[in-house]
Amino acid sequence: MADETNGGVRSDLWDLLPGYALDALDDQDRRAVDRLLESDAAARRALDEYREVVASFAVETAPPAELRANVLERVLSTPQVSGQGAADVSGAPAQQDDRRAGPAASSDRGPTTGDAGNVVELAGRRRPRRWGLAVAAVAAIVVPTTIAVQATAERDRLREQGEIVSEMLADPEASILHGDVAGGGEASVLVADGDMLFRAEGLPEPDQGRAYQLWVVAEDGSVSSAGLLGLRDGGTTTSLVRGADGVGLAVSVEPEAGSEQPTTDPVVVLST
Amino acid sequence: MTIGPDDMVVTGASGWGGDAGHSIRKRVGDEPSVWRRQEVSVRQTEQVASPPVGTSSRDVVDALLTACAGGDPASFTPVYDVLGPVAYGASLGVLRDPDHAAEVTQEVMVEVWQTAARFDATRGSARTWVATLARRRAVDRVRSEQARRDRDQRDTDLSTGLSARDVVVEDVERRLEGSAVRRCIEGLTPTQREAVVVAYYGGLTYREVAEQLGAALPTVKSRIRDGLNRLRDCLGVRHG
Repeated sequence: MADETNGGVRSDLWDLLPGYALDALDDQDRRAVDRLLESDAAARRALDEYREVVASFAVETAPPAELRANVLERVLSTPQVSGQGAADVSGAPAQQDDRRAGPAASSDRGPTTGDAGNVVELAGRRRPRRWGLAVAAVAAIVVPTTIAVQATAERDRLREQGEIVSEMLADPEASILHGDVAGGGEASVLVADGDMLFRAEGLPEPDQGRAYQLWVVAEDGSVSSAGLLGLRDGGTTTSLVRGADGVGLAVSVEPEAGSEQPTTDPVVVLST
Repeated sequence: MTIGPDDMVVTGASGWGGDAGHSIRKRVGDEPSVWRRQEVSVRQTEQVASPPVGTSSRDVVDALLTACAGGDPASFTPVYDVLGPVAYGASLGVLRDPDHAAEVTQEVMVEVWQTAARFDATRGSARTWVATLARRRAVDRVRSEQARRDRDQRDTDLSTGLSARDVVVEDVERRLEGSAVRRCIEGLTPTQREAVVVAYYGGLTYREVAEQLGAALPTVKSRIRDGLNRLRDCLGVRHG
């Protein structure tokens, strides 16, 4: 049954992945799929996709208010497990051999999640190429390391960003701005105490030789570059701009090397 | 350290609870003053209809969950606030009963805290992770309840609140309202749609779906597979 060298069996097992994602398999089939997942990175990726589809059925609904205090109280007395555990709903996170490794990081799509953590320090924001250099530096570090190390680095970076974002969200003065992007897609920015977390999705690929550039908009209407935006799957992009002396962000389409000042009208302006 | 709805000042287009006047829409070709500061009123909203989870702030939520793996219980509060509704919504989809769904949500959210270090953002979003955990627990609960009632045939009344495992497909329209998958479900063939919907909302195994629909097991398997493949393509889900 579990002989995966048999092509027919293997294909049958792949057909069970949707059922696995739906929790619709009986125990025997589920164990067979578990074995497939241990050995086959492509199957894990396919499962991840099916899980995202299944999760899209869920309609977010506010839980009963009293639940919050109960959960937070239990959390106080519940120790956390380490990330090394085997039984994981996500499969086997330690085996990230299916992720594209270093060389892909220098492609236009960037590392798989690495660009989620791009932090632009505004000290150098008038040098538009700074963004590109930062990405190149990341790629140089990533290439010779093992994939496990890469995953850890990504996690650390996400954690660091998470702490910043956590503080931003806790700020009662925080605001979120949201708008459509001319040409397609949507953008939002979380603004709190000089830090701005920009995110957009559904952006079309810019024309050949062009790139999206992010701008900090100051109180007086002047703008300064916060770097070029790299697109990931689904036209998503994220950038955390720290210490910005601005009232909002804007994006324009510029030559791929970036511009000192915008040369086209913005496709979106998000400003308080 | 909370990000309860009352703590946030939100402006935005429809969907985040703001009115359309809050949104900023600039288009190429507007007057040259576009680079001047846009005047936008930022108002304290009393209630955010739905937190900006899922589509708009995936990276933020992922980062929050990753951050809480560091062991600080205070860092879990924002995670609960943004992902609790995901767990509750996913549980409710299967269980329908608010009390059961609340119990499952409590278990799931404590589990989320406990196992936060296992969340791997390269494999899927925090939202998907939590929805997956919640659905699994909800389905487990349905099945153990079913097994208990199978053992005790006399207890087949409606007292448990988990009685109706039969899914009325017509009823699904209402429950899909507000879900990301809603616009895509129309693209399925009627038989694919029926099989997927019955499996999802009934928390049923393939075998049980086949029994309920009076179809052969391999037929049900391929309908569900083809249905999910179509939904995946329609939703634009693509990893790696």
